[in-house]
Amino acid sequence: MDSLFSQLTALGSSLALVCSFMLLWRRSLDSFASAFTIQSIVVSAVTAVVGYFGNDSDLYYVAGLFLLLKAVLIPYVLRRTRRRIGALREDTPYVNTATSLLIGGLLVLLSYVVTRPLVVLSDLPTRSGIPLAMGIVFIGLFVIISRKKALTQIIGFLVLENGIALLAILGTYGIPLIVELGVFLDVLMGFWVMQVFLYQIDQTFDSIDVEQLNMLTEVTIRPADRVSGGGGA
Amino acid sequence: MTDYLLQLINVALVLAVSPALVGLIRWLKARMQNRRGAPIWQPYFELRKLFGKEVVVSDTASWVFRATPYIVFASTLAVALLVPLVRIPVPVALGSDLIVVVYLLLLGTFFLALAGLDTGSPFGGMGSSREMTVAALAEPTIALAIFSLAVGAGSTDLGRIVAETLNAPTTVAAPGHLLGFAALFIVMLAETGRLPVDNPSTHLELTMIHEAMILEYSGRYLALIEWASGMKLFIFLSLLANLYVPWGIATSNDPAGLAVGLLALLGKVVVLGCAIAALETRLAKLRLFRVPELLSVSFVLALLAVTSSFVVR
Repeated sequence: MDSLFSQLTALGSSLALVCSFMLLWRRSLDSFASAFTIQSIVVSAVTAVVGYFGNDSDLYYVAGLFLLLKAVLIPYVLRRTRRRIGALREDTPYVNTATSLLIGGLLVLLSYVVTRPLVVLSDLPTRSGIPLAMGIVFIGLFVIISRKKALTQIIGFLVLENGIALLAILGTYGIPLIVELGVFLDVLMGFWVMQVFLYQIDQTFDSIDVEQLNMLTEVTIRPADRVSGGGGA
Repeated sequence: MTDYLLQLINVALVLAVSPALVGLIRWLKARMQNRRGAPIWQPYFELRKLFGKEVVVSDTASWVFRATPYIVFASTLAVALLVPLVRIPVPVALGSDLIVVVYLLLLGTFFLALAGLDTGSPFGGMGSSREMTVAALAEPTIALAIFSLAVGAGSTDLGRIVAETLNAPTTVAAPGHLLGFAALFIVMLAETGRLPVDNPSTHLELTMIHEAMILEYSGRYLALIEWASGMKLFIFLSLLANLYVPWGIATSNDPAGLAVGLLALLGKVVVLGCAIAALETRLAKLRLFRVPELLSVSFVLALLAVTSSFVVR
């Protein structure tokens, strides 16, 4: 029974990890959104599996909410935003695709090294998934720093958040429902705030390429203007 | 004695069935694209026709050009002798080592590339250069995917690996196993010249890799090369099937078991062939400069497969 449990969680974690590699390999923003959707479904399934084997019925609610929020609501908003902005592809990331993939592989190796003490000490049946979840966190972070489009960076953040959720589920069999609810609310708020920023960036620069933000240099303004035009930018 | 006989039957099986596999994939593709398609046994007719035609060889070609078809054919046949197809352990005591198998297959690729350069035609040279680029990138992935299996079984002997997976059925769903399968599948597409990497059904100059190398061949030479590449496809598919989903393979010389093993092998290869046909219908060929990226995806998958099999151990 335990071996089936650990097999299933390890399988789910690897699938989620492969989804985050899709972010490094594909280029169109829509395929990023699909990769994120699939990953969220997988993480939610892992949550339900942990709930079943760990006899914790609260986790079913968490899995359901997770599915609703991250596999339905957020991808829907992402796709709508993508259509409204009209940006299609992440063409020129700071790090090219082949190198990104290799760095992704190295990051997963790193996460094996980092989580080694934890995995050795633990006797949880879910322990083999912990390094993989940590790898998802690292790859999400790498996407944020190596991609130029603001929308890609948002998806990178969401993937990072998925990794943290998976880590929490695998490492502790889930945190109390009330805490999860708070986390969900935080993610949703963060996501909305980023959406607002995204629209602002798009309106100001007519592009969601964050390199454009370098054009925001300080201009010397006379004191008289500063009083009347405060808060502009 | 029966062992040797069985092994010869194995080789005969690969020789006989591989053109049908090529024909099946072509027919399925045609059906999925709303064409009627040539019958499955069409490749046999093509081979017979080619064997009956005279050979035209360029004046500038050296012995490499003439020897290559035989080397390619012979090395592929040798591989057919070594891999476990219907029964494990492989009867002939040559040792069915994974590394030997993979490098025998690469020997054929190497000589094909030499022959492409030999005639001095620009297309041949271009094909060889592309083929070598792909082979050089596929190489580390194959090695890593092999190690992920070998680590699990504690041996690089193909028969041992298959037996080990049969004994512990839960390893089939292990992440290392699945990632390794995905990695080897992508490399298989690259090595046998299938779609996202190379287009097997066209002589359009800008899209071809494998076809460009063999452009100068005709008559029985071409027949040998076509047949060998069909066998290579069959061998790769049966390797994927037997290494990762070994059920049904016979473990003794019991006739009923052997019959089941044969049916299981053909069934698994047909399923994989359908998967290839479906993929080739859905995917467009990648631009040549995207190919290294695809191969680095498979490299990373193989890397993850190795790490996870080490950790599980």
